[in-house]
Amino acid sequence: MRRFLLKRLISAIVTLWLLATIVFLIVNVLPGDVGRQILGPFATQESVAAYNERLGTDRPLWQQYLSSMRRLFTFDFGDSYATSSPVNDIIFPALGRSAKLAVLALIITIPISILAGVIAARRQDKFTDRAIVTTGLATSSIPEFVSAAVLMAIFCVHWKIGKVFANPPEGTSLIGQFPYLIMPALAMAITYFGYLARMTRSGVITAQNADYARTATMKGMSTSQVMRRHVLRNALAPTITVISVQIGYLMGGIIGVEKVFNYSGLGSTMIMAVGSKDIPVLQGAVLLVGVIYMVSTLLADLLIAYLNPRVRLERA
Amino acid sequence: MDPASPTPTGETGTSTDRPSAEVIVVGVQQASERKLARRENWRLIRRRPSFIIGVFIVLLWVVCAIFGSRLAPHDPLDFRAGVHLSPRADFPFGTDKTGRDVLSRVIAGARDVLKIAPAAAVLGVFFGVILGLLMGYIGKRLDLVLSRIVEAFIALPVLLLALLAIVTLGNSAWVVLGVVAALFTPIVARTVRAAVMAERDLDYVTSAKLRGESSSFIMFREILPNVTGPIVVELTVRIGYAVFTISTLSFLGAGPPPPSPDWGAQVSEGYNSIAAGIWWTTFFPAAAIASLVIAVNLIADSVQSVLEAS
Repeated sequence: MRRFLLKRLISAIVTLWLLATIVFLIVNVLPGDVGRQILGPFATQESVAAYNERLGTDRPLWQQYLSSMRRLFTFDFGDSYATSSPVNDIIFPALGRSAKLAVLALIITIPISILAGVIAARRQDKFTDRAIVTTGLATSSIPEFVSAAVLMAIFCVHWKIGKVFANPPEGTSLIGQFPYLIMPALAMAITYFGYLARMTRSGVITAQNADYARTATMKGMSTSQVMRRHVLRNALAPTITVISVQIGYLMGGIIGVEKVFNYSGLGSTMIMAVGSKDIPVLQGAVLLVGVIYMVSTLLADLLIAYLNPRVRLERA
Repeated sequence: MDPASPTPTGETGTSTDRPSAEVIVVGVQQASERKLARRENWRLIRRRPSFIIGVFIVLLWVVCAIFGSRLAPHDPLDFRAGVHLSPRADFPFGTDKTGRDVLSRVIAGARDVLKIAPAAAVLGVFFGVILGLLMGYIGKRLDLVLSRIVEAFIALPVLLLALLAIVTLGNSAWVVLGVVAALFTPIVARTVRAAVMAERDLDYVTSAKLRGESSSFIMFREILPNVTGPIVVELTVRIGYAVFTISTLSFLGAGPPPPSPDWGAQVSEGYNSIAAGIWWTTFFPAAAIASLVIAVNLIADSVQSVLEAS
């Protein structure tokens, strides 16, 4: 187990380093003078040069790369170009707000999709199955901001359920925040439902056709016992993997949803950074999402290894 | 080595001993059997209802993209109608905040999406296939290094890296196209790599090796035709994602610049008015995006389920 953990941890760190390098390359090697970009076309050449010197963007590329890597591993992304306050003071509170939204979206998505996936698998190739699979396919292909806008028009404006502005007033209790967050969370759940339901479905189908499930049935166990003790337990692994991958991807879709509902989370922070070409904030936010993805897939792998001894023995 | 030129270097196989000749015969048979199977698959795909529905909707938008100006009841940039008119007989989708006809703008918006999204998908698949073939066939250290890089790319939502790249490059239609294609490349490469690795040790590849064919001939003329299945699936799926990504980018203000009547940009102009009860400026372009992505995904799904069953 310890070797498996160590191997997995090293590979996560290598991937993170590569990720940071990719982000660095995108930001620095692509053409574009940072000082000129921020100060605009009318600034004098001297002020642009002075600005670049202050930001450190006039140093040789390898020096910039080294300091960028140091920042990654100390998790300090410097100061925002736009507001001059430390990037961490901007992105971490924003992440906290986004996390609330993402967690609510997951609380809605996970049970519904697993249930739908299991039902579809039990009724394989019948009408219920087709209906669930096709609905899932359709909803998972719609961009989050589209479902957000449509939900807002129908529920928040027409039926007056949920709020158009998702920012709860200062000091609202966690339960009091629910009506504010439910519609944006639902918009994300709509997009993530389909994929998770499909993966659960195929996991359950594989497990219920496996030899151990047949043996259990022939031993005289009831269908629900076979499902609970054998099928679901084995179908769980791919489902956990999908959920962990989606936690990272949730942070991509959240941008559009936050914009529609004017919610001030990490997504809105990134849109603002895009508008003001605030590269440190954007870079910090993107890397933060990368770290979240790494941590959640790592935890998923550990959870699977914990649940299933075969995995940890095989991979070690 | 130039991967783009699949010219065979060793035209005549030098090996004449019997076992390898046998392998060559088996290899040739294998190749022609697979050709038949591909034709049969295409017949099965065409009969699926979800494929027919998907193609119908996509064709509808293609017609809008080609004949947009003749189909649209008004000029999509004409703002002389009243502001925020609700849907009515002469403006079935209403008018937007500057008095432009929403229906005409939705029709005109089809052109932008259908120009950029498939192009980005095709380009991403093209480079992804080359990269995937190299990783899967050449393998070894090249594969080890490239696989790690591909994994790092996949660790982030395409949307985030696209935003980052577009901020540094500026947003023109060409940049959006290039960035989306570049970010699709590693994803496609991973799929193609897996498919190539499954083919690499089959008889027809061994037979080609014994004939003395060059690596590039084997990759592009022998293996490539046999991995068209996953590539076609990947292409259709990528077109759907390209529409998804590009419309989200333009909603976020990082798409092709205005005044193009892009669907995502239209939603972005209109969504703030939803609270005031003005739903039509947002709803119709949003529905257009949804219908196109769903249609493309229905096609992709039919292709995938037929090819995976075979």
